[in-house]
Amino acid sequence: MQATLPNAPHKSWRERWFPNGEWIVLLALLAEIGIFSLVAQNFLSTTNFLEVIRLSVELGLLALALTPVIVTGGIDLSVGSMMGLSAVVFGALVMDQHWPIPAAAVATLLVGCAGGALNGVLIAEFKIPPLIVTLGSFSAFRGIAEGITHGAVNYSGFPKSFLFLGQGYFLGMPAQLPILAIAIAGYAVLLHRSVIGRGLYAIGFAGNGARYAGIAVARRIGLVYFLSGLAASVAAVIYVAHLGQAKSDAGTGYELDAITAVVLGGASVAGGRGTILGTVLGLFSISILQNGLHLAALPSELTGILTGTVLVLTIAMDRFRAPRKISLEEGAIEMKNSQVAILCGAILLGSLITAGANVWLVKSLKAPAAATTAAHIPVIAVMPKAKGDPYFVSCRIGAEEAARELGVELIWDGPTGLDAAKQNEIVESWITRGVDAIAVAVENQAGISTVLRKARQKGIHVLTWDADAEPDAREYFLNQATPEGIGNALTDEAARLLGGKGDFAIITGALSAANQNQWIAFIKKRAQEKYPGLNVVTIRPSDDDRDKAFTETQTILKVHPSVKLIMAISAPAVPGAGEAMRQTGRKDVDVIGLSLPGICKPYIKDGVVQTIFLWNTKNLGYLTVYAGTMLSQNKIPPGAASIQAGRLGTLEISGSQIILGAPLLIDKKNIDKLDF
Amino acid sequence: MKRFRSEISVGFAIVVLLIVLAFLAPSFFTRENLTDLALANMPVLIVALGMTLIVLTGHIDISVGTMFAICSVAAGEFAKLGLPAWGAGLAACAIGAMLGAINGALVAYLHIPSIVVTLAAMVAFRDALRWITQGAWVQDLPANFQWLGMTQAASNTVTFLIAGILAIGIGWGLRNLPAGRSVYATGSNANAARLVGIDSALVTFSVFTITGALTGCAALLNSVRFNQVPSNAGIGMELKVITAVVVGGTVITGGRGSIQGTLLGVVLLGIVSPMLTFLGFSAYWERAIQGLIILCAVGFDAVRSRLGKYAGDFAERTA
Repeated sequence: MQATLPNAPHKSWRERWFPNGEWIVLLALLAEIGIFSLVAQNFLSTTNFLEVIRLSVELGLLALALTPVIVTGGIDLSVGSMMGLSAVVFGALVMDQHWPIPAAAVATLLVGCAGGALNGVLIAEFKIPPLIVTLGSFSAFRGIAEGITHGAVNYSGFPKSFLFLGQGYFLGMPAQLPILAIAIAGYAVLLHRSVIGRGLYAIGFAGNGARYAGIAVARRIGLVYFLSGLAASVAAVIYVAHLGQAKSDAGTGYELDAITAVVLGGASVAGGRGTILGTVLGLFSISILQNGLHLAALPSELTGILTGTVLVLTIAMDRFRAPRKISLEEGAIEMKNSQVAILCGAILLGSLITAGANVWLVKSLKAPAAATTAAHIPVIAVMPKAKGDPYFVSCRIGAEEAARELGVELIWDGPTGLDAAKQNEIVESWITRGVDAIAVAVENQAGISTVLRKARQKGIHVLTWDADAEPDAREYFLNQATPEGIGNALTDEAARLLGGKGDFAIITGALSAANQNQWIAFIKKRAQEKYPGLNVVTIRPSDDDRDKAFTETQTILKVHPSVKLIMAISAPAVPGAGEAMRQTGRKDVDVIGLSLPGICKPYIKDGVVQTIFLWNTKNLGYLTVYAGTMLSQNKIPPGAASIQAGRLGTLEISGSQIILGAPLLIDKKNIDKLDF
Repeated sequence: MKRFRSEISVGFAIVVLLIVLAFLAPSFFTRENLTDLALANMPVLIVALGMTLIVLTGHIDISVGTMFAICSVAAGEFAKLGLPAWGAGLAACAIGAMLGAINGALVAYLHIPSIVVTLAAMVAFRDALRWITQGAWVQDLPANFQWLGMTQAASNTVTFLIAGILAIGIGWGLRNLPAGRSVYATGSNANAARLVGIDSALVTFSVFTITGALTGCAALLNSVRFNQVPSNAGIGMELKVITAVVVGGTVITGGRGSIQGTLLGVVLLGIVSPMLTFLGFSAYWERAIQGLIILCAVGFDAVRSRLGKYAGDFAERTA
């Protein structure tokens, strides 16, 4: 009903229901469901669909809130950051101030309203373009959240009754589903059944025209940004209940996913077009794609590639359909034959790729399926914290070696960046798929433990590696080194190089990285207790970016001339600091840290980096798959004091931890012998 | 003066920050620090030149960070194949131009909104790169890759020269060449531009392609400062670049803005973060302060234009 010509007398059912070509998205959605039903295990089941819905609620709320914003021709990039700020405020009120949950929730929603109102005033009253305003508040909201918590505080331990909202079932459906349903209904009424909604379309279609027609443009625009702040804070409360933790990085990157969902659903970023039905379809076509890829054990990287392709193809098909209508009012965008040809070519190419991928998919899945009927091959699912990280890449090499040796099927998948929510999502899909053992490098303890317990209840063996979950959520933790051991080793080495006293600076990964913050705490403790002369002058973030670590090191050297040692505790930061040292030629400053020998080799050989610590990452990956397989075959008796782990020999079990060995000290002498 | 209205408020902000620094942290103004800062911000500047063109035509490109990563890895891989650094650089520019051309073709000829096209490109190409490299860095580069096979000082000079030539060339061309004027015309009113004989689709296609090539150039100049290439470069770069362009006064709906404004925008953003370190702020508050400074810079401009609205802007707006 939107944005068609006012005098169009008759509308076919298709135009009435799908005014913006939402049927294309519906087709894509059905195609996804069809393909994944064939290739993904346990995809077509009620429990799986309920899980998909549970995982879509937070994103769904943001996408719903963005629909009217985009209909008015605006955009709100700050919703993800607002989630982070709201989550932190909520966590602080409940855990630090001991407010009752309902009061804290109301206060959190007020924060959301205030943030939304700030955006709204700047955009509607001061006429600053929405992109600029929300780009600013995107940094500001997330920044305030990091400032309040110092990036490190992670509120957890919320009462069970509250966690029910995010994790429990209400009448057989996920408890947060009613909230999503109410939001969908509310926004549908607002946008499609109210005077205000009609006004929003008019504003998006022609802002000045709307003003001449007597619509209170500024007030309407203010309203949609206000609502989007509110929706983001509601999403934040649900997110906290879902993951059981509140941290400043909540909702990172959600704004782009939400915009993708809205645009996929046929809304025009130029304004004036878009429906709630389209947004909901767009939302589910993204979440079902992600879920299906996990269940089919296809790499997560395909999500981005396919989402991008689907996005461009749907809009292109929509354009293919649209010109007839537009050309009535202006001859400008008439399609030339050559353009039609390009478009047909693109669609043909796309469908060929899809067809090819399908053939490959079916083939790749048939082989293991046939084999399982003969003898059960254990499926070991291993999750790194982040897939692209060089550290985990080298763990994977060891994991694959063990899988080959033992003849088991290895699923290696995880988030592409540090993302606690994504980890939960992938574990959920592995439970649905039905694997034999799950091994997780835990990003967030409180968040993942609930879902790991669920896996154990379903009879799946659960291990943790690299970082631990709560002890009752897993059977064994493969301990490569304790945070305390790492902190002590680094501090002792710093003291040795500095002769027991002096200033040093720490370059960490992201300010909110849980692991690094633990290490920093132990480094400070050790320095305080054992080396009173050692002094941490500053802690700077590198965001796991080599170039940023480089610049930060240069600045530290200038601002704090007393610094005689840089301790870089993120893998890419050590080469960054090393290169800075080489270029400034400061021979009196040492660099130590925690990194991979492969990327530090040139600097260690040059003598700009003195020492790095690491355990043998290949062995860690190897042990993970080895222990997972042994568990799934019940080869580790309860109370065993040691296990035989293939080429690693006998490893000690202490309590429920399997100890890999002490961290390696890597310097000039042994670097050439290491191959990871 | 009216022409430089928004440039003035950014320039004013920079001067204030510099005065604060001069009193509280004079060591900021050492030659070494300024060189390091300039070098660190050079990639953002070069990409921002292209982004200014795109925003002037009324479009946006949020895939530059991804293209930057692809071009960096490509430059490294070509150098490993035995190409000299300049050859690897040309290849990186060509790949960047190709990726930009894909964006440009979809935007200009299929009329798909640029934010949709480049959002898709950003996500799809980034994941494709992750899949191909599996996160591995490009290592064991030939010795003539770092510093373009020259000394560090010579290579820095070359970097400054290239960036300077690009900035002056694009800035001059934008004001004085027919091609430059047609960028403004396309952004002001694409239909009107078409009616006076400007091929506005070609203009749009070209600015995306140019930005791709510039991203490749920035990727090379950044990569040669190191001796290995990480595969996760450029994450979040698009935000820095777009922020610099809009803070510099280029209007996001197209048609108004300038290269000198973008230069000021890059300078402002480039000094904020190190300034906070020099002044001893904790890193935890840095992002919040950065966001506030951006909001203040654009807010100041908006308040001024509101106050000045009835004084004389009317003529400009109706012109």
